Amino acid sequence: MAFSLQFIPKRIHKTFANLRTGIVLLILVVLGSALGTFILQRPVTDADKLARAYSPNTLRWLDRLTLTDVFHSWWFLTLLTLVSLSIVLVSIDRFPNAWRFYARPYRKTDSHFRSALANKVELPIKNSEQGVNAAERALKKLGWPVERIAGNEPSLYSERHRFSVMAVYLVHASLLLIFAGGIIDGIFGYSGFLMLKPGQTDNVIELRTGAKKQLPFAVKCYAAGQENYADGSPKRWWSKLAVEENGKEVESKEIVVNDPLVHRGLRFYQASFGMTGTIDGVKLLASPENGSGREITLRLNEPLDLDANTSVTLAEYIPDFFIRDNQIFKRSDNPENPAFRLQVKNKATGEDAKLWLFPAYGEAAQGEKTNYTFAYRDMQMGYFTGLEVSHEPGQWLVWAGCLLMGLGLAVAFYMVHMRVWIAAVPDARGKLVLWIGGQANKNRDRFEQKFTELVEGIRTELESASAAPRSERKEQPELTLAGVK
Amino acid sequence: MSTRARVVRMEPPAATGGSALLVMVGLSVVFLLVVALLGVAKSGGSLFSESNLLYVALIFYAGAAALYMGFGVTGTERYVRFASTSTAIGLAANTLAVAHRWYLSGRPPFASIYEMLLSFVWAVAALTLIAEKKFGVRIIGSITMPLAVVCVILMQLLPSEVRPLVPALQSTWLHVHVTLAMLSYATCALSCALAMMFLIQDDFKTETFLAWTSAMVSAVYVAIVATRFEKWGGLSVTGWDAKSKSDIILGPGMRLFVTVPDLGWLFVIAALGAVVPLILYFVGRARNNESFFGIANKAVFISILLQVVVLAAFILRVRDASYASPDQDGLFPTSLAASPFLLGGMVTGIFASLLYLMLLWRRTDLESLLPSADTLDRVTYKAICIAFPLLTGMIAAGAYWANRTWGSYWSWDPKETWAAITWLVYAGYLHMRITRGWRGRRAAYFAILGFGVVIFTFLGVTYLLPGLHAYS
Repeated sequence: MAFSLQFIPKRIHKTFANLRTGIVLLILVVLGSALGTFILQRPVTDADKLARAYSPNTLRWLDRLTLTDVFHSWWFLTLLTLVSLSIVLVSIDRFPNAWRFYARPYRKTDSHFRSALANKVELPIKNSEQGVNAAERALKKLGWPVERIAGNEPSLYSERHRFSVMAVYLVHASLLLIFAGGIIDGIFGYSGFLMLKPGQTDNVIELRTGAKKQLPFAVKCYAAGQENYADGSPKRWWSKLAVEENGKEVESKEIVVNDPLVHRGLRFYQASFGMTGTIDGVKLLASPENGSGREITLRLNEPLDLDANTSVTLAEYIPDFFIRDNQIFKRSDNPENPAFRLQVKNKATGEDAKLWLFPAYGEAAQGEKTNYTFAYRDMQMGYFTGLEVSHEPGQWLVWAGCLLMGLGLAVAFYMVHMRVWIAAVPDARGKLVLWIGGQANKNRDRFEQKFTELVEGIRTELESASAAPRSERKEQPELTLAGVK
Repeated sequence: MSTRARVVRMEPPAATGGSALLVMVGLSVVFLLVVALLGVAKSGGSLFSESNLLYVALIFYAGAAALYMGFGVTGTERYVRFASTSTAIGLAANTLAVAHRWYLSGRPPFASIYEMLLSFVWAVAALTLIAEKKFGVRIIGSITMPLAVVCVILMQLLPSEVRPLVPALQSTWLHVHVTLAMLSYATCALSCALAMMFLIQDDFKTETFLAWTSAMVSAVYVAIVATRFEKWGGLSVTGWDAKSKSDIILGPGMRLFVTVPDLGWLFVIAALGAVVPLILYFVGRARNNESFFGIANKAVFISILLQVVVLAAFILRVRDASYASPDQDGLFPTSLAASPFLLGGMVTGIFASLLYLMLLWRRTDLESLLPSADTLDRVTYKAICIAFPLLTGMIAAGAYWANRTWGSYWSWDPKETWAAITWLVYAGYLHMRITRGWRGRRAAYFAILGFGVVIFTFLGVTYLLPGLHAYS
């Protein structure tokens, strides 16, 4: 055969419609994904950790071979595509035969088939019509559907769960659905991160790649928080969110881990919760020179009136301070040794007094004299809620695929296609017998039991039919059996 | 034919020998129970606490394991009856332990590796009884019960306090996912045991079992030596903080290791002892000389003795002692609880070698006790037909849950990836069997390989590969 271009599609088809190719591809997928679990993967690992785990040279090679991102590499995706192709082609190749088997069941036996079948019994009968009738009654009693087959010899055909032979196509189709969902998400889906402080509204998320993406609506965070167990481990993270479209609030929900907010196909998950490192407010006790004090809460750069003439402002906040040359400097962002600068303004005199508050060294504020004294009570740190945002338009295909696969597997593994043929035919020596044959596509030992049960039923029917002439007495056993049922 | 000679020599007088083991096992069970009871009475703790129940389960499982193995060796029918009774009592105690924990925590015990092992052992014991009563595979307990015993011993060492659920675990899907996982893993364990039985019944060469057994034991010891052997013959084990009952953590992902002096050499010797039979096997095969296999069998004996010595030394040296650490100055305590998986590996190695000896001595008896090869082959396939849909359901439930928690149904996390690999391996088994007609030995290999992957997914990934699945 000359090798021409025409044969290439045929050859490709032949290669991929082969179960062996499919198995080889699966082995490659297994090896590739195993590799991806042994080597640290860039999308889920910090760059620092990677740098610590591998030498720069190794890392360069791993990157060059795309081994630090196996699951998004071209070769892995190609493998998955080829597996899908193989599933499709193998299924297409086998489908016509299976469909013929399904659509046109083999109902009428011939002598060749009768001698080759493994499960068979011959019962002697006198009259073919009577024998077949008895068998029909026995089948109906045991709950088998019965079909009478027209022909020279009176015969019956009965089967159960024929569709189970097609279940394997359901399973393969479901796998393709799942793949399709994954591909759609890979192309059209995206996921990113949104960090919101209470009161903040935003519509720009940061994608995994680092790029920004603008959403068609904005998300507002009303509040967020963390609840702890008695032992201090986190019990619950929550955020009160609202969706704003064109400045109007259209939806709101309090989300927790495991229960996201869904709007227009976008999902917002509670992913993290933490401190911003800035201060939200500081609580002070402000006391006039003669009189009882009151508690006030100051926010950064927001003046608060203490009386008609005096106002106080939190002018500066240093989370961790140190003093050198009588100057105050910041050492770190760790809010363990904070310093607050207060600005007290006397509107009558126009004087501005500066005070410092170092809670770690005593609660009283010190500095220039004012007509108030201030004592530190408490501070609230600013916090943020971290939302994972994802758009997965293909996920419904995935879930549909999962359900279909469950259904397909259940049918394929637990529903047995059982067939029974019955015919009144002459046996090898020419005597009239009721030939009973059966076959199952799996769980054969169980079927043998059922088959024996059926044969016994037919035998009993035959005996009662021949013992009693056709009269009312015949009805007797049927009634009792029906009663037992 | 040295094996044949040994068979004759080891034959016990049928009646008295049959009772001897029963009496011994019975007495040890009673003795252990009484000692435990006295201990509880002295300490004044609650009798029906979870750890006591689990201890009872351990005693009865161990008794059952001894009897099942005794049945394997002598073929005494009565052993099986008592063994399954013992399994049933152990299962009852195990069930109570599960119920107790469930009641205390108000949720099913699925949230930590300890709780998962608790459920896994329960499923394994239940399935053993089912396999025995329903399918008539009586000897299977001699494989699954030692497995159960190893798991319960491991559990004694793992942190067992009831921890509140972290936010990500507070989901109904946790229960669905983990129930399916434990059921499918236990069914896979069963299919693996059945496949091994099949190999015995299928005239699989005893030498080949020798090779696999010593390969497995060698792998355990070589892995330990490769990762834990320190300079000057020490063995490094994890430091243990007795107060907080946890590893000593230096920084994110960094545990403190201490070095037990000289213990490393013992492990090297044990590794050599395990490799020797393997080498003898290969030499015997290469030269086509059967006498090497006889020597290899003797080497297995020596290897078991070495393993027992190493285990004893490990237990004595590591339990509640303080050693220097290479990372920081000063002495740090360690405990058996700090190295559950080293210990688990060692105990598994000893069991595997003992099972091999059982096979070596009593092969012909075993063959008459087991169902036919054909039945075993079919039952293995049936077990996988049950495990596979469960596995599928587990992955689907896990994906759905991940989608609600992490925002993505599939993130190629190592645990996920390995679950998918397990699924693919079993899918491969089914395809080869259904469309290619793989029966018998090749199918049995496949089933055993499948369970190997399951074990790696269950325990290996958690302890070797980093990922999101931190709590399991």
